[in-house]
Amino acid sequence: MQPRLRHRQLARAGLAAAVVMSFSATRVGGQTAQELQQELKAMKAQMQELQEKMKKQEELINKLVTQQAAPPTPPTAAENPPAQEQLEKRVTDNIMQKIQPSLAAANKTFPSQFNPAIGLIVDTVASYQENGGGNFEFRSAEIGISANVDPFARGYAIFNGTNDGVEVEEAAIVTTSLPYNLTVKGGRFFADFGRLSKFHDHDLPFVNRPQVLDTFVGGESQADGLEVNYLAPLEQYLTLTLGAYNKIGAENEQVDNNRPRALNRFTYLAHPATFINLNDSSSIDLGANLAYTPKVDDFTTDDMEAGNGKARYLGDIDITFRYTPLSQAQYRGLIWGTEVLYNSENWNTGDETTPVFRREDAVGLYSYLEARLSRRYYPGFMFDYQQALDRQTGDLISYSPYFTIWLSEFQRLRLQYTYLTEPANHESQFFLQWTAVLGSHVHGFRDR
Amino acid sequence: MKRSVLFISLLSLFLFSDAHAEEKIKVVTTIPDLADMTRNIGGNLVEVSSIATGVEDIHAVPMKPSFAVQLNRADLVVLLGLEAEHAFLPALLEAARNPRILRDGPGYIDASVYITPLEVPVRIDRALGDQHPMGNPHYNVDPVMGKAAAKAIADGLSRNYPEHAATFKQNLDAYLAKLDAAIMRWEAEAAPLKGKKLVSYHPDLVYFAERFGMEPAGTIEIRAGIDPTPGHIADLEDRMRREKVDLVVREVQYPAGLAETVAQATGAKLVELPVMSGGTPETRDYISFIDYNLRTMLKAVQGGA
Repeated sequence: MQPRLRHRQLARAGLAAAVVMSFSATRVGGQTAQELQQELKAMKAQMQELQEKMKKQEELINKLVTQQAAPPTPPTAAENPPAQEQLEKRVTDNIMQKIQPSLAAANKTFPSQFNPAIGLIVDTVASYQENGGGNFEFRSAEIGISANVDPFARGYAIFNGTNDGVEVEEAAIVTTSLPYNLTVKGGRFFADFGRLSKFHDHDLPFVNRPQVLDTFVGGESQADGLEVNYLAPLEQYLTLTLGAYNKIGAENEQVDNNRPRALNRFTYLAHPATFINLNDSSSIDLGANLAYTPKVDDFTTDDMEAGNGKARYLGDIDITFRYTPLSQAQYRGLIWGTEVLYNSENWNTGDETTPVFRREDAVGLYSYLEARLSRRYYPGFMFDYQQALDRQTGDLISYSPYFTIWLSEFQRLRLQYTYLTEPANHESQFFLQWTAVLGSHVHGFRDR
Repeated sequence: MKRSVLFISLLSLFLFSDAHAEEKIKVVTTIPDLADMTRNIGGNLVEVSSIATGVEDIHAVPMKPSFAVQLNRADLVVLLGLEAEHAFLPALLEAARNPRILRDGPGYIDASVYITPLEVPVRIDRALGDQHPMGNPHYNVDPVMGKAAAKAIADGLSRNYPEHAATFKQNLDAYLAKLDAAIMRWEAEAAPLKGKKLVSYHPDLVYFAERFGMEPAGTIEIRAGIDPTPGHIADLEDRMRREKVDLVVREVQYPAGLAETVAQATGAKLVELPVMSGGTPETRDYISFIDYNLRTMLKAVQGGA
C-alpha cells in the first residue's frame, strides 16, 4: 500500500507544482488580479476534476485488485503493487498529457501580458489609369498598438509607413471611467467628424477614399486636439461629440498644425449622432456634423488662397442603412451609406498681388451600396460628386463598381473600376487592392 | 386649498411608492442560455436581457448601438468568456461607458471561470484559423459545463449583492438539482450516441460530443472561422467515407447548402442544431435547448430524421 500512496502523493505534488509554477509565471507576467484569480480558479477546477478522476480510477483499481485477488489464483501481496503502480502511473500520465497543452499554452502567454496588443496592416494597390499609366503602389504598412494605461484610461497609437516616410497617424489617450457617461480623448486622433472620415484607408469599403472627403475634409479626419463625447441617459441611443482641434484633416493644407494660435483660430466640432432600430435586421445610423473655424487667415500656407480672416463652416450629414439578418450576419446583408458635405469659406478669386476674397459655398456627396453575398464576396457601387471648394473650376463625378473578396477575416482582395469625369480629364481607372492584417486586431465601435 | 392638499397627497403617494419600489438588479447577458440561468438564480431580484437572441453566430453578433444603451444601464454583464464574444462585446462595453461592467470591474461576470476548456491551442498562429487562445469557448452545449457556468453566475451575483447571497445560493441549488436530474436522464438516453462520429460546420459541438461520448471528425470550415475551399471539401468527404462518419451537423447560423451536399455525398445523416437556446422555437430555455439537441441527435442516429 505504501508505494501506491507515495506515488499518489508524488503525482499530486507534481500537479500542485505545475499549478504553482504556472501561477508564478502569471505573477512574473503581471496579469491583473482578476485574470490571476480566474486562472487560479480554472486551475483549482482542473485540480478538483483531476482529483475526482483519480479517485474514480483508484476505485476502479481497487475493484480490479479485488477481482484479481479473488480465487482461484490469489496473487501474493508482493505481486500486486507493481501492477497497481503501473496502472496508476498510466492514468496519471494520461491525465498529465491531457492538461499539459493547457498549462504550456498558459505559461507561454503569461510573460507577454504587459505588452500592448500589436498589429500590422499591409495595404498595397496595383492601379492603371487611362491617362496616367500604371503603378504598383505600396500604400502603407500600419502598426497599431493599444493597451490600458491604468484604471482610468487606455492609449493607442498608429504609425503609418508609406513611400513618403513614417508618420504618427494617431496617438491618443482615452478615458475609460469618467462619470456622467463622458469620454475624453486627447492627442492626435481621427476627429469624430462624419462617418468614413474616421476610417483608415485600408478600412474603407472601397479602394480609394471618396474624392469629396479628400477635398472637403482633407482625407482622414486626423486632428491634434481634445474631444469630449457624451452618451445621453435615454432609452434612445444619442451621443454628442464636442471637440477643439488645431485643424481637421490629415491633408488639410489650409492651416498650419504646428504654430500656436488664438482661440478663434482653432477648429471646433459638434456632432450629435443617433441610431434607429427598424427591426431585428434593419437599422439606420444618423449623424450631423459641424466643424467651425472662427477665423482662417494667417495660417494658410503658400498662396494665401483661403480665409481672409473669416470663418469656415464645414457641415456633414451622414446616414447609414444596414440590413443584417441575425441568423446569417456573416453571410447576408446590405449596407447603404451616404454623406452630404457643405463647405463655406472665403476664397481668393483674384491673384496673389491683388487678392479678391469672396465667400463660396460648395457641396459634395458620396453614396454607396454594398451587398454581402457570402462570407467571402461583397460587391458594391459607389457614386462620388463634388463641387470645387473655390467654385473656380467645374464639378467632379465618379462611378466606382467594386468587388471585395475576403479570403479570411484577415486577408482581403478588392477589384475596382472607376470612371472619373472632372474638368479636363475623363478616364477609366482600374485597381487591385490586397490587404492583410497581422497580429492583434480589434473590432472597433467607430469602424462599424 | 383642497386642490393643493390633493396634489401634495398624490405627490407624496407617488414619491413614497417610488422610494419603496424594489429596484431590480439589471443584468445584461451575451447569450440567452446565460440569461435563463441568471433568471433562475436571481429570481425576482433580477431583470435580465440578452444581447443575442439565439439565432446568431456568437462570433458575429451585430454590434448595434442600442446594445450600448442596454449595457450603459446594466448593473452586471454576464458573458460566456474564453473570448467567445470578442467580435462585439469589448467594443460595446467601451461604447457603453459603464466602468462597473468593464473587464475587471465588479459587475463583469465571466461564466467560464470554472470551466476546464477543451482544445486549448498549444501554438497561437493565424495559420491555424481564428483561434481562441484560452480554448474552445462553446462550452454551453454541455449541460455539465452549464452547471459550472451557473455556479459562476451565482458567485458573481453574490459578490456584487452579498445581502442576497443566501437567496442566490438557494436558487442555484434548486437549479442545479433540476439540471442534475436532467443530466442523469440525458446521459442514460444518450447511450446510442456513444462512438458516433460527427462533422460540424464550426467546432462548436466539441463539448457536446465529449459529454455524450461522440467523436468529432472534422469541420466543414477549413479552420475555425475560415470558409471551406473545394479542395478541403473533397478531402473531408474522402475522410468521412473512410472513417464512416455518421452525422453532419449544420448549426442554424451557417449556410445549409454545403452541409447538405457533404451529407449527401458521404451518406451521413444531416442534422440541424442551434448552438444556444432561442436558436429554434423549441429551445425556449437552457434545459429545453440541451434536450432538443440531444433528441435531434438521437432521432438522426436511430433513423428517425
